[in-house]
Amino acid sequence: MCGDCMFQWLKKRHNPDKLKNLPQLIANLKTSGDFLHFKSEKTGTAFYIYYFKTLVNEKELSEKVIEPMGKHKVASLADVKENVPIPGIIITDDLSVVCEKVMVGYLIIRFSEVSDECALIPSPTDISRKVAQPEVEFTVVGSKEAFVESLDKNVHLIRKRLPVHELKAYELTIGKLTHTKVVVLYLEGITNQENVNTVKERLNSIHVDQVVDNSIIMQYITDDKNSPFPQLVDTERPDRAASGLCEGKVVILSEGSPQALLGPTTFVEFFSAFEDYFVNWIVASTARLIRIFAVLFSILVTPLYVATLTYHYELIPSDLLSTLVSSRQQIPLPPILEAIFLELSIELLREAGARLPTKVGQTIGIVGGIVIGTASVEAGLTSNVLLIIVALAALASFTTPVYRMGNTIRLIRFPFLLFAHLWGLLGVVLCFSFLLIHLLRLKSLGRPFLEPIYPLRVKDLKDALIRLPLNFQTKRPIQLQTEDTVRFEKDKNDFHE
Amino acid sequence: MSGAEVKEQHKISPFLVFYLVHTMQIGVGVMGFQRIVAKEAGNDAWISVLLAGISLHIVIFLMYKILLKENGDIIAVHKRLFGKWIGGLLSWVLIIYFIAMSLTVLRTYIEVVQVWMFPDLNKWIFGFVFLLLVYYCLSGGFKVVTGISFFGVVLPFYLLLTMAFPLYHGHFKDLLPILNHSASELYAGAKAGALPYLGFSTLLIYFPFIKDPAKSHRWAQGGHLLTIFIYVIVMIATITFFSANQLEKTVWATLTTWKIAEMPFVERFEYIGIATWALVVLPNICITVWAGGRGIRRLINVKQRTITIPLLILILIVNSLLTRRENIDMLNSSISNIGFYMIFVYIPLLFIFQLVLYKVRKQS
Repeated sequence: MCGDCMFQWLKKRHNPDKLKNLPQLIANLKTSGDFLHFKSEKTGTAFYIYYFKTLVNEKELSEKVIEPMGKHKVASLADVKENVPIPGIIITDDLSVVCEKVMVGYLIIRFSEVSDECALIPSPTDISRKVAQPEVEFTVVGSKEAFVESLDKNVHLIRKRLPVHELKAYELTIGKLTHTKVVVLYLEGITNQENVNTVKERLNSIHVDQVVDNSIIMQYITDDKNSPFPQLVDTERPDRAASGLCEGKVVILSEGSPQALLGPTTFVEFFSAFEDYFVNWIVASTARLIRIFAVLFSILVTPLYVATLTYHYELIPSDLLSTLVSSRQQIPLPPILEAIFLELSIELLREAGARLPTKVGQTIGIVGGIVIGTASVEAGLTSNVLLIIVALAALASFTTPVYRMGNTIRLIRFPFLLFAHLWGLLGVVLCFSFLLIHLLRLKSLGRPFLEPIYPLRVKDLKDALIRLPLNFQTKRPIQLQTEDTVRFEKDKNDFHE
Repeated sequence: MSGAEVKEQHKISPFLVFYLVHTMQIGVGVMGFQRIVAKEAGNDAWISVLLAGISLHIVIFLMYKILLKENGDIIAVHKRLFGKWIGGLLSWVLIIYFIAMSLTVLRTYIEVVQVWMFPDLNKWIFGFVFLLLVYYCLSGGFKVVTGISFFGVVLPFYLLLTMAFPLYHGHFKDLLPILNHSASELYAGAKAGALPYLGFSTLLIYFPFIKDPAKSHRWAQGGHLLTIFIYVIVMIATITFFSANQLEKTVWATLTTWKIAEMPFVERFEYIGIATWALVVLPNICITVWAGGRGIRRLINVKQRTITIPLLILILIVNSLLTRRENIDMLNSSISNIGFYMIFVYIPLLFIFQLVLYKVRKQS
C-alpha cells in the first residue's frame, strides 16, 4: 500500500517535464560524482554499464557480470538474464523502477544509448557491522548475540531461532527520503490478528520524510504520544524478540536500527530482565521484587523526605529525629531546595556521563559523586542524610532493565517533589493518584497497560511481579488474546516414580 | 433519553462490581461513624452495625431484581414506570443526590485534613487540584473510574491492619454484657449504623456498564460483605479501646485510634492514614460525579464531557463556600437521611410497584 504511494511520489518527482526517458535519467545521474558509466565491447556487441560505485560491489561486478557476458557473447537483454549468474535480474523500461533500483545497488545495462529498455542487475555492497555482544541488555548467562543495523541480518537472527513456516514477515517502506524498510514479524495461528492489523494500520499511516531509527517508528505508532511512559518494549536481544513472538507478541524491525520493538506490552514487563528466565524462579522472583521496590523507592524516597521534614516531623520517632535534626542543623535551605539541588546535580552527572566517551564518563562519575557530594555536605549546602537518600534513589532507578523506563522513573520524581512541598504526604498521595490514573488510561496497541494488576488477571500473574517455575508457564498471557492459548501441555506425571 | 445502550468495549467484567460497591461504602463515614452508633446502642453498637449490614444485603437483592427486570439503569426504570415527566423528576432527584454526595465527601475530607493535618489548607487550590484529578479520571471513561476504585480498595487495604493496635490495647470485657440494650435501642443504632454503608446506590446508574449483570450480583453482595466485616472490626476495636464517655466526645474515632499505632520508624500514624485516605475518597467522588453526569446525559441531550466540567466547577464553588462546621454537619446528616430513606423506603416501594405493574400489564 505504502509502496504504491511511494511510487506515485517518485513519478511525480522525477518523471514530469524533466525526465521523460532513460537517456535523460542517466544524464541526470551523471551529475553525481560517484556515478560511473562505461562502454564495453568485449562481447562483440557494445553494451553500456551504469552504476553508483559507492553502492555496488565492484568485485562481483567484474567476476559475475562482465566476465560471463564476454564468455557467452551476450548480445541482447534477454541473453543477459540467461547468462549472468545473479538471481533477480529485471528487464524493464519503467523509469521509476530503474530510478528506485539504481539507488539500492543495481547495475544498469543496456545495448543502445537511445532505448528505454535496460537490464537491472542486483549487486549491492554490504557494509554493516558484524553481529556483536549486547551492551545494554547484557546477561552473564545466555546468548551473546545482539541485533545489528542490517535488517536482513536481524530477521535472520530471529528466523534462526524460530525455524517454522508460521513466522510471517510483513514488509513495507516508510519515509519519502529514507525509504526505510520495516518488517512486522508475527506467528500465524498464535498472534492475535487484531494486534497485527493494528500495527500494520499504524505503520501504514506514517507519512514522513525520514525514519532514522526504530525509536522514531515507536513514537509514531505509540498509543498515547503525550505520555512519558514507553508503551512498547525495545530490545537488542534476538532471543528476547523470539521469545516475545512465541508468547504471541508482534515484533517490529527496521533497516538501520539495532533494536526490535515488541508489543503489546505491560507496565510490569518493563521491570523484567531477560535474565530472569535464565535463572531459577526463586532467584528471578526475588530480583523482580527488588526491582519493583527499587522503583517505588526511587520515586518516593526524596519526596517523602521533603514531606516529612517540611510538615510532619512528628511522624519520625524521637531517636531518629535527633539524627536527622543534627544533620540538618547547619543547612540554610528548606528541604525542597536542598532536595532539588541534589537531585539536579545527580541528573547533571548522569547526563554528562551519558554524553561523554566511556572513559571520561567514569572519571566524571567519580569526581561528581565523591568530590561534589562530600564538598556540598561540608559546605553546609545539603545534609548528609539527604545525600545518602538521593544517591540511593539514583542507584535504584538504574535497576530498571529497560533504559527508556529508567529515564521516565527519574523524571517523574520531580512532580512528586513539588507536590510533597505543597501538601506534604497528602501531596505525595495526590501525585501518586495522578500517576495511577495516567497508567490506567494507557494502552499498548489497544490492550490495557497495567494488566495483570488491573484488569486483575490472576493467571497472568505467573509472569509479572514474580516469575513462577517454567512448568507453570503453560498458557500464553491473556493480555495478548492469542489465537492459540496453550504453549505446551503440562507433564501430568509430576513425580518421577 | 439518549445513550441507553453501552458499547461492549466500555463494559466492565462482573467481578469488578465487588470493588465498585465496596469502595463507595468505605468513604469518609468510616472515620467517625462509631460515636453516632454507640450513642444509641452503647457496647452493643457492633451488633447494630452487623444488623444494618445484613438488612442491606436484602436491599442490594431488591436493586438487582428491579434492574435485571428492566435490563437497564434506574432512569429507564423510572421512565417505564412513571412516564417521562414524573419519572424524569425522580431521576433528577437521584442525580442531585449523587452530586450532593460527592460534595459531602470532598468537603468532609477537606475538613478532616484541616483539623488533623493542615489547619490553613487553601480549600480553593486543594479542591481545584483534587477535582482536576477527578476530571482526569472521568475523561478516561468508566473503565478508568472502575480502575481507580480497584486501587482505592486494594492500596489502602493495609490500613485495616492498623486496627490491630487498638485491639491489642483494648479491653474486651467492655463488650460484655452482650445484648444488654433493648430492641428499639438496637434499631436506633442500626439506623445510625446504616449510614456509612450508603453510597452503593450509584449501582443504579452504572448497571448497564456491567458485562453479564446477573453474574455480578454475587460480587456486589461480596463487596458489601467485606464492608460489613471491616465496619464490625472497626466498631469492636473502637468499643474495646475507648471508654463510653470518651467515645462520646471523639468525633473521628478511627483517626484517634491511629494515634497509638507505634512502629520503630513511624510515630503519629494518622498523618499517613489521612494522606492514604485520599486514595479512598478519590474513587468515591469519581463515581458519584460520573453517575451524576451520566444521569444528566441520559435525561437531556448533552455530552457527558460537556456536563462534567460545570458539575465540577459547581462542586468546587460550593465546597469552598461551606466553611462552618455546623453547615458541614448539616450537609452530612441531610445527605445521610436522604440516602437512608432512598435505600430503605424508596427501593422497596419501587420494587413492589414494578412487580405490580408488570403483573397488571401481563394480564391486560
